[in-house]
Amino acid sequence: MGYVAIKGGAQAIAASQRVCELLRARQAEGTPLATETIEHQLRLLHQRVLSEGGVYHPELASLAIKQAQGDSLEAAFILRAYRSTVPRLTETEVLDTRQMRITRRISSAFKDIPGGQVLGANTDYHLRLLRMELLNESEEQFQSITRDWFQSTTDLALDQIPDTFPKVLDALREQGLIAPSDPQRRGLDAFDITREPLIFPVPRSAALATMARGEQGALLSIAYSNMRGYGDIHPTIAELRVGFLPVMLPHPVTGRPMEVGEVEITECEVVAMYEGNGKADMPYFTLGYGACFGHNEVKAISMAILDRSLQIGMDQGPTNPSEDPEFVLLHVDGIDSMGFCTHYKMPHYVTFQSDMDRLRTTQGKMNGERS
Amino acid sequence: MNEVDRECWLSALTRVPAQDLKTLVETFPSDWIIRPTAVPQVGLGMLKLRDSTMGEAFYLGEFPLSQCRVSVTTAEGLMAEGGALVMDDSAERVEYLALCDAVLAGRLPGWERVLDLVEMGVQLQLETELERKSILAQTRVDFSLLDADAGSDND
Repeated sequence: MGYVAIKGGAQAIAASQRVCELLRARQAEGTPLATETIEHQLRLLHQRVLSEGGVYHPELASLAIKQAQGDSLEAAFILRAYRSTVPRLTETEVLDTRQMRITRRISSAFKDIPGGQVLGANTDYHLRLLRMELLNESEEQFQSITRDWFQSTTDLALDQIPDTFPKVLDALREQGLIAPSDPQRRGLDAFDITREPLIFPVPRSAALATMARGEQGALLSIAYSNMRGYGDIHPTIAELRVGFLPVMLPHPVTGRPMEVGEVEITECEVVAMYEGNGKADMPYFTLGYGACFGHNEVKAISMAILDRSLQIGMDQGPTNPSEDPEFVLLHVDGIDSMGFCTHYKMPHYVTFQSDMDRLRTTQGKMNGERS
Repeated sequence: MNEVDRECWLSALTRVPAQDLKTLVETFPSDWIIRPTAVPQVGLGMLKLRDSTMGEAFYLGEFPLSQCRVSVTTAEGLMAEGGALVMDDSAERVEYLALCDAVLAGRLPGWERVLDLVEMGVQLQLETELERKSILAQTRVDFSLLDADAGSDND
């Protein structure tokens, strides 16, 4: 495929941008969306953009959604473009999600888990019926929601609730059902996908980082292929948790660790089929891991399933698409895939002219042969 | 004063309204000599996480980060050094925070007002914690097995 530079159209391009603005502002008696409104009232869209943009910057993620008029791929692209203009100052030590300040925590493996299950905010048990009353929600009704919530919590013994919760996997590990932690793996350097290209084979840390900022729909689609039978993971969710992870860095003067802020993350650990070589090695459950910025449960679960399927592909060679690291990791990035897709809208006049010339030549030759 | 560790001051101060912080800093005497002891920077930090299944480290993504380190000398010759590192991209705010850190660490004039703001931040932090705990308390679930409870759903 070839490309050709074009010129002209500046006026129309500028006008096109104004049309986008016109459509954004055309609401009669409307007011511009505040970034804070987007962050709260379009919470899950906002968190999806945070996650796919790869930068935990709530305010700019809201701005990107506003600018992109709700297109999550465009918004993530804008956020990703922003990050490429800013210097990297440092990286954290390896943080442990046991320190998460939990707001939701469930297990589909056990009814009773240490610390208990907490539904938090989710729609798992909601009816998917339109709530018509929201069509005419008044400001007063809207504001009473928070007030009512806090009034209903005044009698709760909140100080009895712990700050952090133990991991379900730790209990399974103590029972000898999953393999002990491997010190060699713990010592591996993390692969930085923002600085190094993916040249296969890649380490697992590259796969985790790629999926962590992958596009939710793409991850779900490939994980779903595995769930439906193009694979053999059969996952059980040991634990799915949502919460806020304190980000720790050394104090500039004392050098001791301090909290510079917190990020909301979703984390999922799945237990898959057990594995052993049938000889001397003890069989253990195998595991998959998913984590991402924001509250994105479908993404974290899909990632955990794909992590496990990619482990199989890396160890034994892929037998289906979801086990193939190259197939999965090169097709789950929303910005890459959207960019490739939308580039087809750019002028391809010369290449298509060439296609037409070749077709006409071939047709001419065939007409000559027939006559 | 030192009930709140120095490493917790900044976390508390980032919770208070930006305008309150600015107003406080503007009350510091203008004849103080404030010098950066490291180049103030605004950029990104990379968050490294340990996967909890196999213990491998990987990069989850980036976050905004600003850092500043200053030395403060008062007209009376008192000196203190302060620093700030926060998940934010406002150069002005991180400078204010570094200054507050220095004032409180060196007990420079006005340190009590900084401490008041720290305590306000701690209180706001506590309110956030309580809000999250109220979510946990209200939505804690104890699923019963059908055969154990004959189909009742009164949890």
